[in-house]
Amino acid sequence: MAGTALALTVTMLLAPPAARLWPGVAHVAVQEGNGQRVNRDAKVMAEFEERVKAYSTLHRELESTIPSLPKEATPQQINEHQMALAALIAKTRAKAAAGDIFSKDVRALFRRYLARVFQGPQGRDLRASIMDENPGRLRLHINARYPESIPVASVPPQVLQALPKLPDDLEYRFIGDRLILHDVHAHTIVDLIDDAIPH
Amino acid sequence: MRRVVATLGLSAALLWLGPAAASTSVPAQAAPAPAAQAAARVALPNREGSLKFAVLGDFGTGKREQYELGTQMAKFREQFPFELVITVGDNLYGSQRPKDFVNKFELPYKGLLDANVKFYASLGNHDEREGQRYYKLFNMDGKLYYTFKAPKQSVRFFALDSTYADPAQSAWLEKELQASGEDWKIPYFHHPLYSSGERHGSTPSLRAVWEPMFVKAGVSVVFAGHDHFYERTTPQKDIVHFVTGSGGQLRRGNINRRSGFTASGFDTDRAFLVAEIDRDELYFNVISRAGTVVDSGVIQRRKQP
Repeated sequence: MAGTALALTVTMLLAPPAARLWPGVAHVAVQEGNGQRVNRDAKVMAEFEERVKAYSTLHRELESTIPSLPKEATPQQINEHQMALAALIAKTRAKAAAGDIFSKDVRALFRRYLARVFQGPQGRDLRASIMDENPGRLRLHINARYPESIPVASVPPQVLQALPKLPDDLEYRFIGDRLILHDVHAHTIVDLIDDAIPH
Repeated sequence: MRRVVATLGLSAALLWLGPAAASTSVPAQAAPAPAAQAAARVALPNREGSLKFAVLGDFGTGKREQYELGTQMAKFREQFPFELVITVGDNLYGSQRPKDFVNKFELPYKGLLDANVKFYASLGNHDEREGQRYYKLFNMDGKLYYTFKAPKQSVRFFALDSTYADPAQSAWLEKELQASGEDWKIPYFHHPLYSSGERHGSTPSLRAVWEPMFVKAGVSVVFAGHDHFYERTTPQKDIVHFVTGSGGQLRRGNINRRSGFTASGFDTDRAFLVAEIDRDELYFNVISRAGTVVDSGVIQRRKQP
């Protein structure tokens, strides 16, 4: 037990910054006893974080070109702001497609870590929480407005704890068993992972 | 005048107010009389200097029942001048375009808004988060979770985002709860830690993270919604949990009365809760759309461990 804890600490200290920021990378690698996998996972994660950072930078640059929302905005102003930002992002990322941020390797890594979360003792409760009023399978498009008039599926703290932290302008959501990367201010879908929740 | 009905040896002792308060065991088959909108009789101390507030959840349907409950709230306020309303989410259902904020919020509560009653919203899973957190009349200041000190008494509210309970929020919550010097620390949010709802029920994943913080901080009451009825639990780890999710929606007969923790429930019509805090006591009434007091009592403040 103590050996495992020590190995975990050492692995985390030796791991690249991405792995230290996201302990799940090191944790799983220790259990698998595979140093190569640590490095590979950390590299995939670092790539993911770079892509997220690039998107976030673009988002902020584009948002700075439209009038900022007043502190006490009306629903009309909020709606107009969302639409304007979404249009700018869609124009700038006109060729964006699923997998641009959640690359193949990132998708595989996320599925692996989510599988671990859902296999745990709370897995059944977590799944029930996410599927509670989950709108189910919908046709989704990158850069499109997040589907309106549907409930937002909860993302339990245990799941968020297992995923890498996002900048304030992005968040994770679930629609059906898809994990969505959601642009909070533009209210659009940035990317998605199919079959993120293990069956 | 008062009689103790449930102390359970805990500090969150629950007392009845007396004959003015209706039975909390409202029969599930009791049919409301929505047409008869008599103002409810106040069964609260209504003391000068106390903090008076209302709790409303799962309300923004834009349908007749929501409007009728809004009218009942305004009527009740003529006798019991509550100055703020906390909302436990699902503030708007369905479309959330600008006109919906008018039809599903501003018009149903016009009487309260005209009287300068302030609403402090938390968001539910039906709420469009960006649209609502900047909405002036929800007083969220652009934040998905926030805290504010009540204008009277030693009370601090914590509006939480239970749909997206990320580690940053939990760290913020723990810090704010511990830093709070107020006697009453009142968290409110959408997904209930305890609920006897057959449709949704309790949220164990959230409970595992937030409940220990509430216990440690000396929280006495928690308000939530999501399940479309009213429920008060027996003290759970010394904390009384309220589900107030029938502000507009209703899931008739949905309380599972075998859950083992229901102290009182009402699932036959819409209802809102009004509360009054005076020093170490929180008095509450739950008022139905027909103007009937369907639950009432007083909760003694827990001392921080």
